[in-house]
Amino acid sequence: MISQEAARTGGTDRPFKAALTRLAQRREYGVGFLLAATLIAVSWKNPAFASAANLSDLLVQCAPAVIVGCGLTFVIVTGEIDISVGSLLGLLAAVMGLACSPQRANWPVVPTVLATLLAGTASGFLTGALVTFGRAPSIIITLGMLTALRGLTELLMGGEWITDLPAGLRTLGTGSLLGIPISVLVAAVVVVGSALLAGRTALGLQIYAVGSNPEAARLAGLSIRRLRLFAFTLTGLLTAVAALVSVPQLSVIESGVGKGFELLVVTCVVVGGTSIRGGSGGILGTVLAVLLLGIVRTVLVFLKLGEMATYWERAIQGGFVLAAVLADHLARRSSAARAAGGQT
Amino acid sequence: MTTLGRLRTFSYWYEVGLLGLFVALMVVISQVEPAFASRQVQAELSTHVFELAILALPMTFIMITGGIDLSVGSTMALSAVVLGLIFERGAPPSVAALLAVLAGAMAGALNGVFVAHVHVHPLIVTLATLSAYRGIAEGVSLGRPISGFPEQFTSLGTGTVAGVPLPGIIFALAALGSGVMLMWSAFGRRLYAIGFNENACRFSGISVDRIKLMLYTLSGTAAGLAAVIFAARRNTAKADVGLDMELNVITAVVLGGTSVFGGRGTLVGTLLGVALIHETSEFVSWRWHSDESILLAIGVLLVVSVLLNGLLLKRRQ
Repeated sequence: MISQEAARTGGTDRPFKAALTRLAQRREYGVGFLLAATLIAVSWKNPAFASAANLSDLLVQCAPAVIVGCGLTFVIVTGEIDISVGSLLGLLAAVMGLACSPQRANWPVVPTVLATLLAGTASGFLTGALVTFGRAPSIIITLGMLTALRGLTELLMGGEWITDLPAGLRTLGTGSLLGIPISVLVAAVVVVGSALLAGRTALGLQIYAVGSNPEAARLAGLSIRRLRLFAFTLTGLLTAVAALVSVPQLSVIESGVGKGFELLVVTCVVVGGTSIRGGSGGILGTVLAVLLLGIVRTVLVFLKLGEMATYWERAIQGGFVLAAVLADHLARRSSAARAAGGQT
Repeated sequence: MTTLGRLRTFSYWYEVGLLGLFVALMVVISQVEPAFASRQVQAELSTHVFELAILALPMTFIMITGGIDLSVGSTMALSAVVLGLIFERGAPPSVAALLAVLAGAMAGALNGVFVAHVHVHPLIVTLATLSAYRGIAEGVSLGRPISGFPEQFTSLGTGTVAGVPLPGIIFALAALGSGVMLMWSAFGRRLYAIGFNENACRFSGISVDRIKLMLYTLSGTAAGLAAVIFAARRNTAKADVGLDMELNVITAVVLGGTSVFGGRGTLVGTLLGVALIHETSEFVSWRWHSDESILLAIGVLLVVSVLLNGLLLKRRQ
């Protein structure tokens, strides 16, 4: 039976791996199908939704979650988690604002961009180092970082707002190249890069190896700590990239930027089929899940729920995660039952 | 057994260390801010701690089994909104309070079902309900505060019996019950056993799933109770009740020496952790009047205590 499946998936000489790949891909099919169904249903009900401008807006809105989601997918594949990205985004927004606002440090655009990237990478590295060398569970460490970084942001901002970002920086968020918004282009580059890293490089394979069986990976001579540290640092860097393309879109930078963002990104990675136990999942699933949740948000707006939309959005996000894990459970149970049936 | 041997096998060194740390903190504080350390101020401030303290009890149980409940703050919000809306419809406050606690229990039970029967990591389940419960609370109440509770109800939060605040008495009873359960009952031993080796427990016939379902339901119930006390104390029920509460509770429990990997932890440690968090955050807010610094302080405290915890674990192995 397994060999039949292997034949269908391309007839590799590793039937077990082919079966596993198929199973891992199933969630991506599910999310993709749901995404397509929602798109068709909404644009049938309201043709204005499918307009190029609206879809472009949707992609721009989804870009930050896509960019950070790629990094977080690697972290979760290694068997860890990072729930501090929302606070990091807030801190980086403050750093950007304080660095380049004419009222504050008044730096030119390039040093501001470099400082933001550096701050994000350093924070990701620090989180990773605390987790890997402190032998502490990442959920607790990043819960601490979530709070500490938000507190630091509020101290830096001192309760004030920054509204006067220079035009050069604004272009990063609002400009476009060949008719495509810069943030969407950047997100596309990050997605392609991450997918190549995951599927086409030794480093990517090693990351999956560490997540699926740390002991075996260690015996094979891989440095678990270094790979996990890499995943956390990459997430920090990508959070900085997301900050660079999304924060300049805001008319006001205040200390609350990015609140709840960590939940959105974790939700998307989990809904996209990456296992929280590590070792399986992929970039495509994460990207599709971000788009699906982005559409849900737009649908809520289209339903003219007004302010209520933002309230219910969180409830729906949580519901999506529970539905995804429930679907996983049912799929696993039925496939286990089928396997048991096949043996007798 | 020699004195030295007894000292070596004495298993509460961590708690003694925490107590020393607490005493040192209080001595420093009373030098820096004598007014803050006065008995009157401390008694007044102590009324703020009981919601945190009540939530820390079931959280200790859960973390001893190797689980975690991130949704306690959001469950508080859900219960508070249930309390407010039912009271607003004209029900007597006692009925509304009862239903609020029940709502908390149901929210906790839902977490428990997903953890115990769907076998999802508690981290993911409670992260999902952290956002879901808060979202429902906000959506149902539209973020509107509800107040105007009668004095008969608010006395639950502000009243005293023989000089002791009523919430303090509720907490003391809960703590006593929890302590007896954890230290002198088969149930308590099972919690440690599950944390040490869940599979071995299953094979030896302990109904791990039922115990887990019970623990998360207990945690939700405690959140409901804490929400009622909070609403009574502040005379208001709103969807932002219990914001960041999960952080304080988990920090207190981890600081108290409970291992996040399960199998180790004591209630005495948790209570000392609660006291340390309480004094630190009240002192920071007293001296610097800044909530931002509290966030920073608690976050750093959590990271440091979990690193310490890891170091300790490595030593023992």
